[in-house]
Amino acid sequence: MLDKRKIRLMTRAAIYEKTYGEEDLKVTGYYQKDYVSLNVWITLIWMTVGYALTAALLFISCGESVVEGITFVRMMIIAAIVIGLYLSLLIIFAIGAGSFYKKRHTQAKQRVKKYMRDLSQMEKIDLKKEKNRS
Amino acid sequence: MSTLLVWREKLQNIYAKYSIYILKALQFVTGLIVFGLINSNIGFMEQASSVVCTAGLAVICTFFPMTIMTLAAAALVLVHFYAVSMPIAIVSLVVFLLMFIFYFRFTPKKAWIVLLSAIAFGLKIPLVIPVVFGLLGTPVWIVPASFGIISYYMIDYVKDSATALKSADAENLADSLMNFTKQLFTSKEMWLMIGAIVVGILVVHLIRTRSVDHAWKIASAAGAAVSVILLSAGSIALDIDISFAIVLASAVLGIAIGLVLEFFFFSVDYSRAENIQFEDDEYYYYVKAIPKVGVAVPEKEVKRITGNRPDRRRGPKKSDDEQDDATKTDEILLTRSLSKELGIGQEEDKTE
Repeated sequence: MLDKRKIRLMTRAAIYEKTYGEEDLKVTGYYQKDYVSLNVWITLIWMTVGYALTAALLFISCGESVVEGITFVRMMIIAAIVIGLYLSLLIIFAIGAGSFYKKRHTQAKQRVKKYMRDLSQMEKIDLKKEKNRS
Repeated sequence: MSTLLVWREKLQNIYAKYSIYILKALQFVTGLIVFGLINSNIGFMEQASSVVCTAGLAVICTFFPMTIMTLAAAALVLVHFYAVSMPIAIVSLVVFLLMFIFYFRFTPKKAWIVLLSAIAFGLKIPLVIPVVFGLLGTPVWIVPASFGIISYYMIDYVKDSATALKSADAENLADSLMNFTKQLFTSKEMWLMIGAIVVGILVVHLIRTRSVDHAWKIASAAGAAVSVILLSAGSIALDIDISFAIVLASAVLGIAIGLVLEFFFFSVDYSRAENIQFEDDEYYYYVKAIPKVGVAVPEKEVKRITGNRPDRRRGPKKSDDEQDDATKTDEILLTRSLSKELGIGQEEDKTE
C-alpha cells in the first residue's frame, strides 16, 4: 500500500536535490571559515582583474587627455587616486563577499540538515515496514 | 471584475497544469526575440544572421537554462562585431567579462534579467523596465538592468557606425579601438538612460514596499513619472536628442503593465483593510491586514437530456429483472396499441 508520508518526504527530497542539492553538498563540504576565506580570495582576484580591465578601458578612452602635459606631481596624484580607489574597492568587496558567502554557507547547511532529517525519517519508515513484515 | 478574477484563476490553474510547457514556450519566444533583434540590427556575419541560425539558436537555448541563452547572445554579438572589426570585438569581450566579474559570478541564475533589459530597449519600450523590475525585483536588479542598457548602446553604436568601422584599415585599428571605447564610455545618452532607469527602479521598489493603500499603482505611476522627468530634464541639460514620443508611450505602457502585474501578483481589497493594534510584554504591534481578492472558478455541470433519466429520479433504483419486465410490458402495450390502430389484430380475429 502507498505510504503518503513517505511519498511526501521523497518528493520534498527530490525537489531539494533538483534545485539546491548538488551545490549545497559542495558548499557544506567545507568548514564555513574555509569556504568563506577561499571565496573571498577568489572574489578579490577577480575584482583585481576587473579593476585592471576597467582602468585599461578608461585609459584607452580618455588617456590621451590625461597624459597630455602631465607633470610629476599630477602623475603622483593620479597614481594615488588609482591605488586609493583600488584599495577601497578591495575592502568593500572583501566585506561584501565575506557576508555573502557566509550567508550562503549558513543557508546551505540548514537546507542540508533538513534534507538529512527527511532521509533519516524515510529510513525509519522503511525499518518499521521491514519489522512489520517479519 | 469578478469575470476577470475568474479568468485569472483559470489562467493560474492552466499554468499550474502546464507550467513546464508554458515556460519552455516563453523561453523559445524570448530566444527568437533576442537572437532576431541581434541579427536584424548587427547581422554583419551572413552565416550567423540567417533565419535558420536565429531559429536554431532559439530552439537549442530552449532546452538549457537561461544563463546559456545569455552566453549565446553575448557570443553572437561578439561574432558579428568580429566581422566588422577586431578591436571592437576585443573591447566588447572585455565589457562582457567585466559584467561577469562584477555581477554574474555571484548570481548566475539571474543572467536573463540583462536580456530583458536589452530587449525592452531594442523594442523601444525602455520605461517598462523600471516599473517591471521595481515591482517584481529587488534593488540589486539595477545592476543587470544597467548592464542590459550598456549592451544595447554598444550594439546601437556599432550599428550606426558600421560602415566607418569596416572601412578602417590596419593603421587605423588603434584609432577605431580608442574611438569605440571613448564613444561607449562617454555616451551621454547611455549614462542618462542608466541614471533614469536606476532611479526609476529604486523609486518603484521604495513605494511598492510601503504599507500605503494602492502601493503598487502609486509605485508604477511614480516610477514612470520620475523616469520621464529625469530623461526630459537630462536631455535638455545635456543637449541630447531623445524621442519624447517613445519615452511617453513607453511610460504609459509601463504603467499599464504595472496594473496587469498588480492584478496577477498583488490583488487585494483595500476597502476591507483592517488596522489592528495589540501588545505583549515587550512590544506594541500595529498591524495592517488587507484581504486578498479571490474567487472560486465555477464548475460546469453536464446535464443529459435523454430517455430514462426522469424515471430514475422518481423512485428508488430498480433491479435489472424489474427493469427488463417493465421494458417488456412497454413493448407489449406498444405493439397492441399499434395493431389496434392499424387493424391487424381485428383481421386475424376475423379469420379465426
